[in-house]
Amino acid sequence: MAIIVNLDVMMAKRKITLNELSEKVGLTLANLSILKTGKAKAIRFSTLDSICKALDCQPADLLEHVK
Amino acid sequence: MEINGDFKFKLLNVISWILFIGLAIETGGYFTNALVTLFFNSEWASHFWGNLDLSGLYTFDLGLFICFITILILISLCKTIMFYHIISIFHKKKFDLENPFNETIKIYLFNFAYIVLEIGLFTYAGKVFAKWLMDQGIKLPPLENLNFDGSDVWIFMGITLLLFAKIFKKGVELQNENDFTV
Repeated sequence: MAIIVNLDVMMAKRKITLNELSEKVGLTLANLSILKTGKAKAIRFSTLDSICKALDCQPADLLEHVK
Repeated sequence: MEINGDFKFKLLNVISWILFIGLAIETGGYFTNALVTLFFNSEWASHFWGNLDLSGLYTFDLGLFICFITILILISLCKTIMFYHIISIFHKKKFDLENPFNETIKIYLFNFAYIVLEIGLFTYAGKVFAKWLMDQGIKLPPLENLNFDGSDVWIFMGITLLLFAKIFKKGVELQNENDFTV
């Protein structure tokens, strides 16, 4: 897919683990893992909102379009 | 006795097993009978499986006889494979009503639809072939005894199943999308 999820990059920048993010965002580890590994087919605005709040970033920092 | 979901499935499983064994015996019977007639004793053509008298066809032309019994065997074989698919789905325990839209059931539905269509096409071909042979003046058993009737029903059922399989395929795609929506 042309959309890349840069969740792992942002997590590394904020020095936060998947477990900590899971607790902050309220998502299961399995779902976060799907998002992190790029297997996700869609993302809800509410999920994006909570991840942006937890990582203090913009949606554009998490999502990238490549040609 | 209370008829619940499990009981219904067990009953269907038992019926499928009985039909599968019956059809497997019939297919084996046709095949063995054909082999014996062709290679050992040509008199068996008059006592074919299911009390069919195919001696008229055998004496008329051996090639046509082989074509005819091939169609008979193919129809019987397809029906056996159809029931094998039904049994396998019961035994593999892939029929999960909690999460019915999965790849295994999708493949099963497509295979099932194609086999039913094949039965319909072979039955139709057999019917047309038998009628043509009768027009040539060859004495053949009635079409009902040859399992050549009901080709239109098989084809209709096959097309309907194919449509259901297509809809199911879309369902599987939607389920996958839903599962991977975070």
